[in-house]
Amino acid sequence: MSYIPGQPVTAVVQRVEIHKLRQGENLILGFSIGGGIDQDPSQNPFSEDKTDKVNGWDMTMVTHDQARKRLTKRSEEVVRLLVTRQSLQKAVQQSMLS
Amino acid sequence: MPAELRQEQSPGSQASLATMPEAPDVLEETVTVEEDPGTPTSHVSIVTSEDGTTRRTETKVTKTVKTVTTRTVRQVPVGPDGLPLLDGGPPLGPFADGALDRHFLLRGGGPAATLSRAYLSSGGGFPEGPEPRDSPSYGSLSRGLGMRPPRAGPLGPGPGDGCFTLPGHREAFPVGPEPGPPGGCSLPERFQAEPYGLEDDTRSLAADDEGGPELEPDYGTATRRRPECGRGLHTRAYEDRADDGGELTDERPAFPTVTAPLAQPERGSMGSLDRLVRRSPSVDSARKEPRWRDPELPEVLAMLRHPVDPVKANAAAYLQHLCFENEGVKRRVRQLRGLPLLVALLDHPRAEVRRRACGALRNLSYGRDTDNKAAIRDCGGVPALVRLLRAARDNEVRELVTGTLWNLSSYEPLKMVIIDHGLQTLTHEVIVPHSGWEREPNEDSKPRDAEWTTVFKNTSGCLRNVSSDGAEARRRLRECEGLVDALLHALQSAVGRKDTDNKSVENCVCIMRNLSYHVHKEVPGADRYQEAEPGPLGSAVGSQRRRRDDASCFGGKKAKEEWFHQGKKDGEMDRNFDTLDLPKRTEAAKGFELLYQPEVVRLYLSLLTESRNFNTLEAAAGALQNLSAGNWMWATYIRATVRKERGLPVLVELLQSETDKVVRAVAIALRNLSLDRRNKDLIGSYAMAELVRNVRNAQAPPRPGACLEEDTVVAVLNTIHEIVSDSLDNARSLLQARGVPALVALGASSQSVREAKAASHVLQTVWSYKDLRGTLQKDGWTKARFQSAAATAKGPKGALSPGGFDDSTLPLVDKSLEGEKTGSRDVIPMDALGPDGYSMVDRRERRPRGASSAGEASEKEPLKLHPSRKAPPPGPSRPAVRLVDAVGDAKPQPVDSWV
Repeated sequence: MSYIPGQPVTAVVQRVEIHKLRQGENLILGFSIGGGIDQDPSQNPFSEDKTDKVNGWDMTMVTHDQARKRLTKRSEEVVRLLVTRQSLQKAVQQSMLS
Repeated sequence: MPAELRQEQSPGSQASLATMPEAPDVLEETVTVEEDPGTPTSHVSIVTSEDGTTRRTETKVTKTVKTVTTRTVRQVPVGPDGLPLLDGGPPLGPFADGALDRHFLLRGGGPAATLSRAYLSSGGGFPEGPEPRDSPSYGSLSRGLGMRPPRAGPLGPGPGDGCFTLPGHREAFPVGPEPGPPGGCSLPERFQAEPYGLEDDTRSLAADDEGGPELEPDYGTATRRRPECGRGLHTRAYEDRADDGGELTDERPAFPTVTAPLAQPERGSMGSLDRLVRRSPSVDSARKEPRWRDPELPEVLAMLRHPVDPVKANAAAYLQHLCFENEGVKRRVRQLRGLPLLVALLDHPRAEVRRRACGALRNLSYGRDTDNKAAIRDCGGVPALVRLLRAARDNEVRELVTGTLWNLSSYEPLKMVIIDHGLQTLTHEVIVPHSGWEREPNEDSKPRDAEWTTVFKNTSGCLRNVSSDGAEARRRLRECEGLVDALLHALQSAVGRKDTDNKSVENCVCIMRNLSYHVHKEVPGADRYQEAEPGPLGSAVGSQRRRRDDASCFGGKKAKEEWFHQGKKDGEMDRNFDTLDLPKRTEAAKGFELLYQPEVVRLYLSLLTESRNFNTLEAAAGALQNLSAGNWMWATYIRATVRKERGLPVLVELLQSETDKVVRAVAIALRNLSLDRRNKDLIGSYAMAELVRNVRNAQAPPRPGACLEEDTVVAVLNTIHEIVSDSLDNARSLLQARGVPALVALGASSQSVREAKAASHVLQTVWSYKDLRGTLQKDGWTKARFQSAAATAKGPKGALSPGGFDDSTLPLVDKSLEGEKTGSRDVIPMDALGPDGYSMVDRRERRPRGASSAGEASEKEPLKLHPSRKAPPPGPSRPAVRLVDAVGDAKPQPVDSWV
């Protein structure tokens, strides 16, 4: 989906709930994240899934560090994500068309 | 040679060799055994059966150094009598296409005979010398095999080269070549693995590897994403193996084949084979002479599955031989699915099989083509290699395994795989033991020295490559127990023994440099040490620092938070750097903490002083650059320690180096070091002349070809800019060093937009000092002339610099002016969103270009978007070098985090 900066964007999202694992004294999720508004979007290492919200925190306008921090809060055992992906969007569009 | 063919050949038949009629297309494989011991030899297996029912393989021993088997295919002219006229043509060149095509035509008559011979000489399982069932055929066979009359050449008599063909007498892989004909041939020489160094990721070097290849393109931050970043990555990939052994040199027959009618050089590749091969079975069968032909590649691969172990081993050795420097064969092996077979053999119960398979894999994994590396990964090659390393006691096997891993590690998708499977093993099995580091040091004995073994070199090369793979890779290496400690110990040992030019040292320093990249952000607990402002001023930062708050690394709010947390600590720290009080440690630092202890400064400075290896110099400067960057306490200490250890003159002297990458790394290191105020003053005084000299050389190279690369020039210019900013004295030094004419000339004449921009940047800063205006104007400079330099810098986005900085994981100091920082450092003010939404990424564009902003180029330019920026960020990513805000400067490398 293409974004026009400054305009609201509608996206199809999927809710994902992840329980953090314990590794040593940390709670980890087990995946890597890339991007952030401070990053160059053309170089995003992972661009299929985008995260919209984490536990209620908005993730659409965060820097990479802020995103990472929100995902790795020690106090939260469970992370509820709203993610969007291209394939979701397409799937919904297809189903709506048919 | 006759001895070789003892089974097959009787003297009589030998005599008849000369007249042995030969089918025109018979190519004798001439095996010349090099006499000099130590040359690698290969085993050649020949499939002898033509009817397909039985297969025998013969091993042929050839010295790899000068392989007798020449690959060129040559048609043998046939004389009137149908016999080939051997003119003993010039030796055929090196294996042209790979597969040795031995055209052994197995005569119908004696297939069994020839087959029984079996090669089994190699090893024990085969009967010694098959009985020739069919004497005549053997006779001819042996002839076919290239029986050559003994040659008393420098190469020594062609050992019964024929004997090579006859495996019968061969013993299990003899250790060395036998000099002299008789018996010489009987010993199959061990095939020396390709001495391929492997591409190390030099990219990682600052310029990429390059700082190791892993280095991020931008100086500051990104480790190089692509090892091949030509840029700097440069450095990263060393194919230094090639210089190691080069044993496998040109293969050519040692001696002219003229004397041996049968000794025709082998024909090369399959391709040529087509041309040449004319197996005329009819002719041969008419003669009832068995002829051997070289096994085709599928046959060799099938032999890898042969139930007899020595066959497997020999096939693997032959495969290694075929693949040497032959990309076509390597590709074909993969296409024929040979790689899974070899990987499976790595776990074979017999050591010989494992060794040969590993040798073949090593050759196969080497080269530009990355498909083989990917295929090896896909069939589980990496865990298999690591298992073999753990199990193997034999040094050669360990060398082969680590060499293969080094080869594989230059392929980016494999780096994390290697870390996952191999990091612990490589560290504990190789690095720690060979470094001399002891986990529990025995107080009584003196520290052990490092052993610079080939295994260590290969392993350090492999780790060098993987260390450039990004933040996660760095984290894993830093946290690998004992790795940093051992590497440091090894380096200390090298410095102590004054042996700092070797490849292992180079690899170790590159790893250290890579791991030093972004320590201030990535090590656990880094937050504790963060300072809001870099430099000695601490909280009482001068007004010129205030503007940084907008783009402070932590973001506005965060800086305050950090500051509050830091408050107490700041009070404790001694800001007066004349008496630098390092925080007292309760226990000795270990592991990754060692990366940034001020003690490493002395080590790096020793390396800079002593080593003559340019890559080592670049890496050591790069490490200092990385450590001096960042707004944390340790960087502050490091910067001061460099000064106290008299490191600044060492660096300044290296600015005279003729090697581009060294100058570049040193310039950026000085730039970062000048965040420390006292350093800045000293550097301004003592380094200015050298810096200006480099600028002058850039603009007017003293000799043709002595041109500096763009990235180097930009680095030097940025360093100059750093030191003249906020320092009137330094600006004056610049004037005194006659820097202004050089800068203006460079700005006007340079082909590179980045260089011109950087030059104009400096000029603008100089112009901003009102106190100097008088002097400048007296010399005839006007604002317009300064601006004109800037104006030429304006223009379409230039091509991104080829990642000059990519390699190195040397982050530039995060200065607000140059804001590109990768990752979180940069705070992107919300108002920086531009029309295309990308502006924030391209903070660098904030710098007003040339005349677009007010004439006074104040240094304190606020971040602002370049209004005219229209194009989306250019494609190729450029490391976020804080160097000039040039057009098209690299965007910060994307950071990925493990959560």
